[in-house]
Amino acid sequence: MQNFDKQWQTVAGHARQAPGRDETAPFGFARRAVALGWQPPALRSEVLWVRLTLRVLAGAVGVLIFCAALELPHFRDARPLEPGLENTVAQIVWAL
Amino acid sequence: MVTDEFDWRECLARVRQRDEEAAALLVARLYPLVIRIVRSHLPRRAAEEDLAQDVFVKMFTRLDQYQARPGTPFEHWVARLAVRTCLDALRAADRRPELRWGDLSEEQAAWLDFMLADQSATPDTSAGSAREVIEQLLSQLPPDDRLVISLMDLEEKTVREVSEMTGWSGTLVKVRAFRARRKLRKLAQSLLSQDRYAKL
Repeated sequence: MQNFDKQWQTVAGHARQAPGRDETAPFGFARRAVALGWQPPALRSEVLWVRLTLRVLAGAVGVLIFCAALELPHFRDARPLEPGLENTVAQIVWAL
Repeated sequence: MVTDEFDWRECLARVRQRDEEAAALLVARLYPLVIRIVRSHLPRRAAEEDLAQDVFVKMFTRLDQYQARPGTPFEHWVARLAVRTCLDALRAADRRPELRWGDLSEEQAAWLDFMLADQSATPDTSAGSAREVIEQLLSQLPPDDRLVISLMDLEEKTVREVSEMTGWSGTLVKVRAFRARRKLRKLAQSLLSQDRYAKL
């Protein structure tokens, strides 16, 4: 281990002598960083809206998949999309 | 290069008053310091400019947290911020791709041979290849180990300086460095055994 440490330090010493790369900021970098750094933080309501929207969307997709799974056994029936319940409104809508 | 001639206090006062010129000047002044840290701890497939930008955005958003105290220059505070940002990026990065003997060039392989050999004559190859092989090996280490070795062995920081930059105790820094070098040795040995196996 000691020998490795010694050899490692020698290699690290050579590595430190490697020519350095360009360290000047690219054109426009400083202005961009300042603009982003001073950007007003998002409003609380905006953050909440984004979070809730995504969750509601995920929930809706879940409900859709659940309904499709329930409907799947009746897929080969004659009228698979007809409401199964004795629901007058639904039947009227279906008849239209 | 960051020098002491720059009037940090005045520049920071102007930045706090939302002086755009002073803010751009501050970024340009600190860029070499930040980009050196970012390049030493850059996760694979990450763009150094993006990570440097993250550091500066954090600097501006957290500027109110910095309090000028004797012995705590602003550059140290920014360096610490840069180190933490890089460490977070390394932790969030994908799994480290495995390094194979075939990934190394002849020059890099010569340095790897030298690390494990009992010889004092260094390979007759460029310093750049030594740097590359070290970076290849460091990319295989966990983020904390990589950080401590980069700071101590490549940037020649003292245990105290590393401790200030990372917030780790001096003992923890020493222990991490010891364990990281042990991992490097095992890694170098396993790579070399791949080469021997390939030659059979």
